[in-house]
Amino acid sequence: MTDTWPYLDVHQSRTHEPTPYEYKLAATLEEVYTREGHELADVVRGLNARQVHASDGSPWTEESFRAEMNRLGA
Amino acid sequence: MTLSSSATADHIYATGLRNQWHPVVPSHFVAPGGMRKVTALGEQWLLFRRSDGALSMLADRCPHRGAPLSLGKHLGDRVACWYHGVEVEPDGTVSSVPGLPGCSLEGKKLVTSLPVREVAGAILAYFGDEEHPEPAELTPPEPLTDPDVDAFLCYAEWNSPWRYAVENLLDPMHGAFLHHDSHTMFDGDTTAKFRIRETARGYFFEKTDQRGVNFDWVELCRTGVDWVDLSIPYPPSAGPGGPFGIVGMVCPVDERRSGVFFWRYRRVEDWQRASWRFLYRTLIEQRHWDVLEQDRVMLEAMPADADQRENLYQHDLGVVRLRRLYRAEAETQSTAGA
Repeated sequence: MTDTWPYLDVHQSRTHEPTPYEYKLAATLEEVYTREGHELADVVRGLNARQVHASDGSPWTEESFRAEMNRLGA
Repeated sequence: MTLSSSATADHIYATGLRNQWHPVVPSHFVAPGGMRKVTALGEQWLLFRRSDGALSMLADRCPHRGAPLSLGKHLGDRVACWYHGVEVEPDGTVSSVPGLPGCSLEGKKLVTSLPVREVAGAILAYFGDEEHPEPAELTPPEPLTDPDVDAFLCYAEWNSPWRYAVENLLDPMHGAFLHHDSHTMFDGDTTAKFRIRETARGYFFEKTDQRGVNFDWVELCRTGVDWVDLSIPYPPSAGPGGPFGIVGMVCPVDERRSGVFFWRYRRVEDWQRASWRFLYRTLIEQRHWDVLEQDRVMLEAMPADADQRENLYQHDLGVVRLRRLYRAEAETQSTAGA
């Protein structure tokens, strides 16, 4: 039984350490949100324009982006 | 004796108000089939969970000789004290005294057992005194029960009195200074006028001349458990969904320590919700943590007599109001048994 004080844990929401792909996608997404806006079409175009593609290398579509977000943000 | 109604007002003020619910620790701190020793309101407790998930909270004190039950053995549906094997059920009843079968302790409810509920990943317990053992009505914060709201709990333990942690939340102006170097609270005026607005469940403490820019308002809510609600704008990088909110609660651990519970929540759905959750886990949680650490560093460095030698000004009305409220309740509770 653990009973150590204090509990100070930065990451309490993660299920795993993000992969390099996830880090790169997240950082690019932040840039796209900042520069291109928050509409789905703009986000997909912004990611593709930066050549940051899905994990299988294919360009994003609205459907594939939505599905990947639902997987990563479940 | 546990949570005696003869405790002094000073003791109650220092260790947490009685006759209400308080958060204790996150739910996952007590695994199915596990137990955990915790301190809350200056007393020692044992959280005990059966393998089917049922949770109970017992005074960490064997009714025989006072040994901590937390050193004992989890027997599935009971705990056995390590010292002499006395077995205690989740409701505090002594089920067996193995050394002297038929002993008069058997069948008696001799261990204090607190009502518990789990809300949004946190264990809440009702800390009634001897005069008020029946739990007060509990209405969980609606951002944590609204299906259109998504929340992540952040829990941390601070070497700071519980009231300083609550006062920090009733002091929105510190956002513009302490958190100036942060991803969310860099903006807004560094001067402001505040007002108190009463509500049926507590009060708002809010700026009169700025909204939606920094940490501009806070609502204290007393709904069986004390919590605060507040909202902070996200920068555009956080994507669609608008500001994020915080539901905050504080566990009075003892006179010098507190457990802080912050649910970061956002009203988002569909891919926008998923995007926030992904960014939160990957990048944003760390930044929120860095902001929280600024609070911890400041509060832990406050001198013990900080609230005895102050010179308050208009921005402190929310804190003054809070202290009056809590002090009056501590006075009332200390004489409840008189």
